[in-house]
Amino acid sequence: MGLLNILSHIYDEEILAKLTFLKGIKLFDGIKKRQLIHVLESLQERTYLKGETLFAQGDIGRALFIVFSGKIALSRLDPVTQKSSVIAQVHPGEFFGEMALLEEMPRTATAHATEDTKVFMLFKIKLESLLFARPAIGVVIAAQLAKILSARLRAIIEKPIAE
Amino acid sequence: MQTETQQKKSYAQFLLPVFVGVAALYFIVLAKAAIFPFVLSAALAYILSPMIKYFEVRGIKRTYAVAGLYIGAGAFLFLVVYLLMSFLSLELEALKQDWPSYAERIQVFVTKMNAKWVKDYPFLASLRLEAKLDHLLGLVPQLILSLLPMMTLLFIVPFITFFMLVGGAGILDYLVDHLPARHAEIIHHIASRIDGSLGNYLRGILTEAFVIFLIAFTGLLLMGLNYAAVIAILIGMSSLIPYLGAIVGAVLSSIVAYLQFGGAILPIVKILAFFTGIRFFDDWFLQPYIMKKAVDLNPAIILLALMAGAEIGGIWGVIFSIPVTCIIKEIMQIAIELQETEFRWKPKPEPTRISIPYT
Repeated sequence: MGLLNILSHIYDEEILAKLTFLKGIKLFDGIKKRQLIHVLESLQERTYLKGETLFAQGDIGRALFIVFSGKIALSRLDPVTQKSSVIAQVHPGEFFGEMALLEEMPRTATAHATEDTKVFMLFKIKLESLLFARPAIGVVIAAQLAKILSARLRAIIEKPIAE
Repeated sequence: MQTETQQKKSYAQFLLPVFVGVAALYFIVLAKAAIFPFVLSAALAYILSPMIKYFEVRGIKRTYAVAGLYIGAGAFLFLVVYLLMSFLSLELEALKQDWPSYAERIQVFVTKMNAKWVKDYPFLASLRLEAKLDHLLGLVPQLILSLLPMMTLLFIVPFITFFMLVGGAGILDYLVDHLPARHAEIIHHIASRIDGSLGNYLRGILTEAFVIFLIAFTGLLLMGLNYAAVIAILIGMSSLIPYLGAIVGAVLSSIVAYLQFGGAILPIVKILAFFTGIRFFDDWFLQPYIMKKAVDLNPAIILLALMAGAEIGGIWGVIFSIPVTCIIKEIMQIAIELQETEFRWKPKPEPTRISIPYT
């Protein structure tokens, strides 16, 4: 009992919760829980307060954002009407900004926190070092990224047909 | 009027950060000597931080990870340092005793050479080489013993490093958290780029220095050279400065071999061959393997950095010159990229376009 008490003092339960959370992210599908430790090492945590802007449309994108808790709204400015409209809400377990992992191009939308939100950021440079240092993990992420982009592309193209 | 007030407001927001920055800079200039152990500790904490993170992401709380690392590594290092110091103190004592006879032999050798040179080239007499050498030889034991007070850093630095490691990147996180949220992405991007190249460089060069120390120590011990530990430590330390390790090793060991073996040529040839081998091993195997992900610096830039470092901060300036150059190079690269992308110095990058539609 005493030993268990000491262990619970030393062990950080939050890490286990974070690893379990990452296991459920589509981008990391196929990566073993043991290997997710290396993914967690590559992620940067940050909390944004309600109303704070993560990035604005036109900013150069450098990271992918995974929502751990809270909510993010993505909005886009219509160049003709100059009106901004929310195009999506991102909830815990979902991610956005994945195009930044492939090309450092201007963001296509503005992201702001609609609640106090904790996110994990995966920077392009960290993904590259994962690809070189731990190819078994890097390749899975790259393949998942390709699948996700393909799915989003299909969704755009199929949209008019569905309507 | 309204725009003017807004502009005043936008300038006012920089007042506090600029004041704090200038005050911090002034404090650093005033308390330069006191700051130095903290700079060393910060460097050590930075080098050790991946080990702490290794345990942290495996669920061990930071304080326990730091304590565990200190207990384990501390016990190991204490043993190594204790053994090395007892070994070293014997060697240093022997060197102190033998030095007068060695100095005399070097002086005789140089006097003979000098007399021969002056005879052939009379203008060399004006340089008074003999008197200068006499002065230099007298300084050597003092110089070696003057290095000993630096050993106090061995006790202060780990103490400060412990608290820095426990605190983690708390201060930096606090600062980043209080900057406008929109800039957080770019700040973390810059930090991870600097961390990528500098971290790899520092960890790489320390591993390289340790491997060279081990090879030199074993090789010199096998060759039966006196003061193998002292020479190997000097070689290991000078390996932190590019190109210097093998040169220092070859010169020092050749002098010791000349004095120890009564001027025989063969041991010197063996030693020179050994250090040439170390140099090639370092260039062809060690560096490509260890430093493959570190920042790539041009040899001319390295030389400039070393000379500037020596000018600014003496021996410590030389040691810190390359890591600082790594940071400057990375910041310059990022700054140029930002100028091109954020301030549109270059036309907007064109996204990859493919003519064949999605199928």
